[in-house]
This record gives sequence, structure tokens and C-alpha cells, in this order.
Amino acid sequence: MSPAFEKHLNLLDYALSSLWRRKMKNLGIITVFAGVIFLVASFQILTSSLTSIAETMLAKTPEIVVQKMSAGRQESIPLSYLNRLDGVFGIRAAVPRIWGYYFDETSGANYTVMGVERNAMPEGQRLEMVIDGSYPDAEPGGAALGREVAANMNLAGRRTFSLFRPDLSLKTLRITGIFAESTNLLTGDLLVTSLDDARDLFAIPDNLATDLLVYVTNPNEISTIAKKIAARLPDTRVLTRPQILKTYKVVFGWRSGFASICLLAALAAFAILAWDKASGLSVEEKREIGILKVLGWQTTDILTLRYWESLTVAGLAFLIGCTAAYFHVLFLEGSLFRPVLLGWSVIHPSLKILPVFAAGDVLLIFTLSVLPYLAATVIPAWRCSTISPDAAVK
Amino acid sequence: MFLSAWSLSLVLCSIVVLFLIANAARTGVRVLRYWNQASDSNLQISLENETWLASTLIEFALAVQGLSLLLFILAADSYSQVIAGAMCATGSLLANEFGLPTLYLKLAGFFLYGFWILLHQIDIRSEVYPLVRIKYLYLLLLIPFILADIIFQTLYIANLDPDIITSCCAVVFSDAAGEGGNLLGSLPQTIMLWLYYGTIAVLLGLALLMNNRIPRLKLSGKRVQSSLSFLYATGWLWFFGLALAVITSVISSYIYAMPFHRCPFCIIKPEYSYIGLAIYCTLICGTFFGISTALTEVLGRRSDLVTPVRHYRKIAVDMSLILLTILAVLSSYHYLLYMITGGEN
Repeated sequence: MSPAFEKHLNLLDYALSSLWRRKMKNLGIITVFAGVIFLVASFQILTSSLTSIAETMLAKTPEIVVQKMSAGRQESIPLSYLNRLDGVFGIRAAVPRIWGYYFDETSGANYTVMGVERNAMPEGQRLEMVIDGSYPDAEPGGAALGREVAANMNLAGRRTFSLFRPDLSLKTLRITGIFAESTNLLTGDLLVTSLDDARDLFAIPDNLATDLLVYVTNPNEISTIAKKIAARLPDTRVLTRPQILKTYKVVFGWRSGFASICLLAALAAFAILAWDKASGLSVEEKREIGILKVLGWQTTDILTLRYWESLTVAGLAFLIGCTAAYFHVLFLEGSLFRPVLLGWSVIHPSLKILPVFAAGDVLLIFTLSVLPYLAATVIPAWRCSTISPDAAVK
Repeated sequence: MFLSAWSLSLVLCSIVVLFLIANAARTGVRVLRYWNQASDSNLQISLENETWLASTLIEFALAVQGLSLLLFILAADSYSQVIAGAMCATGSLLANEFGLPTLYLKLAGFFLYGFWILLHQIDIRSEVYPLVRIKYLYLLLLIPFILADIIFQTLYIANLDPDIITSCCAVVFSDAAGEGGNLLGSLPQTIMLWLYYGTIAVLLGLALLMNNRIPRLKLSGKRVQSSLSFLYATGWLWFFGLALAVITSVISSYIYAMPFHRCPFCIIKPEYSYIGLAIYCTLICGTFFGISTALTEVLGRRSDLVTPVRHYRKIAVDMSLILLTILAVLSSYHYLLYMITGGEN
């Protein structure tokens, strides 16, 4: 073992014993520090996790969605627009979709009602695989429900239910299937019918749909095809999948950045506390440093000792804070901060959040918390290490 | 775009560095004015005490500043997720005119800051601290550099607009989006690889020669050793630029297993097992040790620094030798894998 290494090992040994001697004071600092790190880390992990959920969710959505705009607001799109897309190369399929929200007055919840032509969609047949039962387009009047919707309707074994059309006449639907539990994130509040039934329920004329879904063969061509569509249909808004994903990331990034700024106040308060604790030396501590100096310790040795102490405190608090944040996201699904990042509603699909924790995040949390702490303790550490031995022992 | 955790941490690092360096600079000015090794006045004694604090502050600040290089690249990578048209850090660094200059400043800074720490470490190993004035002069000269680094970084973040279209590193995309994609165009691969491995072989040979590790070929002349040091440092400087070019234009596409993706930043992502991080760490640290041999050669001419310098030079040459070997293995791994097994299965 090299002498330098041995020296540091001995200093670390002494630092640990000195921390232990003042355990109440140090425990207090570690607890508060771990709390601050917990807050910062929770936000960071939750943001990464939600971004990765958005990525997974959007992976299989249609590449392009075309919405008709009028006076800056979305309105139904004429089906004749489909013909105007005929000449665009690279489009695999274009299907109309009708969807909207249905407010259920008895439960106070909003359902998402959606009707699509499954057979026109490239992977439409695979929808059957996630339904417990069958897809509702075999005969008119069928509906497949998400688990949360089914639970909310209080069906008690009935296979049919009725919803109100806009003119308050009743539309009866028969349940053909329930969506599988594993798709709850996407289908929790969903009620799927055939295109005609959805049109009937919302009283949308035959020649209109809510929007058009465009499937693109080559993902590299999405933006080119989107530009072509926008040129052909100037009164529409063309949304591409990458754009939507970026928007999600901007929103999550902005919200977590905003939250981090709020947490900076906590961090600053903690740095002041750390500075204060480190500079307010008791008589005993002064005497200890004096004795060490008399025994032949150099200023630099005492600085190194203080540095090891700070590093131990910061390292422990960092481990505790990050672990707590990880479990907060894993078991409590980040419930403390989820409303800040997601928003809230009556039926919110119950999210199963898996914590995503990359090495970059660790570095980020480290710079946001440990670096300011170490910086705040350097100067007080120096002040106490330059006490002259005779003044201290007197 | 200050409202992002990455921007905040970069800004926080800058504030910490400014705070520490400002404190240390005050001592620096006093040292330059009043330092007198022979005196035992109160002023000199308090100055000697202060230099301990100042050097600790500077070492810490410079280490933070070095860390901010890594942080900056990771931040640029995360910005690429929200900047339309940017696929990775290349895209977001090209998003405005301050991105690449900031990166270069931080990269150059890493070496300049490292030299200060080296100067300090050699200085405190001598009984009489002969380099105190030089150290603090160097520090005061570094301050404008640090300020430039921080100003460019702030301008870069402030001018980032999540909506603008930038070009990106993937050629497939840039064909559709316009001209200019990779940071470096396609360079002649065979020549580059010959140069790369040739330089590695020469540097390895030089390092072995300098530490007298080649049997029956011992060089002990002071002038010979000194010219070897300068040759070695120049070799490393050339190798640093060459290696960055080779990693970007040749090696990276073997790591991605995509012939047209030549990005120097994506290799540090978790998808590629952080291999880029290891490659850059070994390259940058190796270059630092390599170049520092020439610096210490200059310092070694002072009689009171001969022993610490000789000790350091031996360690530096050995370290650069080890790092170079690791770098050669890491950077050749995917290339050899491709040559032997024919690529990804």
C-alpha cells in the first residue's frame, strides 16, 4: 500500500469516528440533506419514467393525424379529403376516425368513445388480441369497453347499456368484449364501437369524420409526407408522431425544470444551514483541532479530514435520498408529484410507472445537490483548520 | 431554455465556480503583490494560510468546471429530444452559433485547469513553494477563460429555442432536410486507420523508451530525455486531434453498426453501454498526462523541483501508456468484431 493511500485511509478512519462522536448533529444534517435530494431525485426519475412511458405509448400510433381547422379550431373533416391524398407516394393507408368524449352524468366521468374501420388499418386485425371477447364490428350495436369504464358503469352482469345521443334519445350498445388489463394505460377510459355506431352516437353526418389517420410505410419519410399533405390540404393541421413525442418531452421537461427551480430554494436553505453548522465551532471542537495541531497535523491534513467528513455526509444523504426517491416512484408511483407533471382528472388511467434511472440522471442529481453542499462547507472547513494551536488549547 | 433540469445544473455549476474562484482570486492578487518567502511578517503568515484555502477552492472549482464538460454533452443530448429536427447532441449543438464554441472552450479548459492542479501539486511537494507566484498569475489569466466559458454556455442555453429546425447527424435525414449532417465529412478510412494505429505504435514505443522499459536500450542523457518529452507531448497533441477525427468519422459508425451515422456523441449513451464515455475518458486523460510531460520538463529545470518532477514524469508516462493501451483496445473492439464476425447478428 502506498503511503499516500494509507494516509487517506487513516484520515477517513478518523473522520468516521469524529462524525460518530457528534452523531446527533450529523444525523440532523443527513436527514435534511436526504430530504432535499429525495425531492430533486423524485422529480428527475418521474420525468424520465413518464417520458419513456410516452415513448412506448406512441410507438404504435399512426404516423400522421390530419385534423380540419376552421377559424383556428378543430372541426369534423370531410371524407372527400381522403381522395385528395391518393397521389401522395409512401402512404400505406389512410383511415377516417370518429372519436370524442362522452360525459357520464351518473358517475361524473368522461369516457373516450372511438370508432375506426379496423379492416382498413394496417395492423387492425391484431386488435382482437387485446380484447377479452370480440371486436365490436361484426354486427351493428356492439361495443368493447376498457376496464375502468366497465367498472364505472356498474353493469352487474348486464351485457347491454345505453348512452344519450345529443338530442337525448337513447342509443343501446351491447358489450362484445373488455380490453385486457395489460393495456389499461391506453384503454382504461376507452369505449370502442364500429365507425357507424360512433357516428350515430355523436350524430355526425355521413360525409364527415373527426380526423384522418395516415399510416406511412417508411418512418424516415414522415416529415416529407406530412409536408405534402399540408400542401394538398391547406385548411388542415397535420400532426406527426415525432412532433407529438417532442411536445410531450417539452412539457415534461418544462414542468420538471420549473419544479426544480422551486426546489432550488430548498437547496439554498440547506446550503446556508450546512455553512452555518460547519462554521459555528464549539469550544470542544476548537480544542480538538488545537490538540491535533500540537500533535503535528498540518492545515492541509485538517482540510482533508473535513473534506472526508463532508464527502461521507453527502454520500450517505445522496444514497438515502436517491433510494427513497426510487421507491417513491416504484411503489407509490410518484404520487407526491404526479399531479404536477400529468395534470388530474376523474378517471385517470391507473399508471404503472417503472422507474427509469440512467447514469446521466445520477450525475444530474449529484450536481444539483452534492456540489453546492461541498462548496458551502469548504470555507468554514478552512476557517477552523487555520486556528492557531496555542489559541485553541488555552 | 433555462427551464430544464440540465440547464439548471449547468447554471448552478457556473455559480459555484464563480463564487469559489472569486474568493480565490482575491488571495491571488494579494499573493502577487505581497508574497515574500523570506519574510516572517504577519501578512506573510496570513497569506500562507490563505493560500491553502485558495488552492483548495481552486482545485474544487476547476474539478467542477471539468465535470461540466461531461454535463454539457449530456445536456446537449437531452436538449436534442425537444429541439425539432435534432436527433442527438450534434443537432442541438448546431442549433445556434454558441453550441460548438462552448464545447471547444470546455474541452480546452479541461487541459488548462488540469495544468493548474498539476502545477499546484508539484509546488506543494517542494519545501520552499517556488511556484506560488506563477500559480496565482496563471490563475488570474485563467479567469477570463472561465468567464468566457460561462458566458458562452449561458448564451447557448438562452438562445436555444425548442421549435427551430436544425440539421442532424444522420445523413439519411439530412438528405431530406438539407445539406450538412455530420460534424465531419467522410474521411478516407484506410489512411485514417493507418495513421491512427501508426501513431499509437509510435507513442507506445516512445513511452517505453522514456521510462527505460526496453531491454538493452537505455537512454539516460538529460538532453535526450528532455527532447523525448517534447516529442512525446507533440505526439500526443497530434494524436488527440487525430483520434477525435477517427472516432467521429470511422470508429463511431462501427459502434452504431450504421455506415452513415457518424456522430461523436451518441456513443456515450447507455444504448452503446457507455463505451464512448470510456473512450473519451481514456483519450482525454491520456492526452493530459502525455502533454504534461513537456510542461514538467520546463519546471524540472529549477533545482528545487527536480525530485518531484522526476517522480511525476515517470508516473505520467506510465499512466499515458496504460490509458493509450486501454483506448486502443476499446476503440478497436467494434471494428475488429465487424472484421472477424461480419457485424451484428
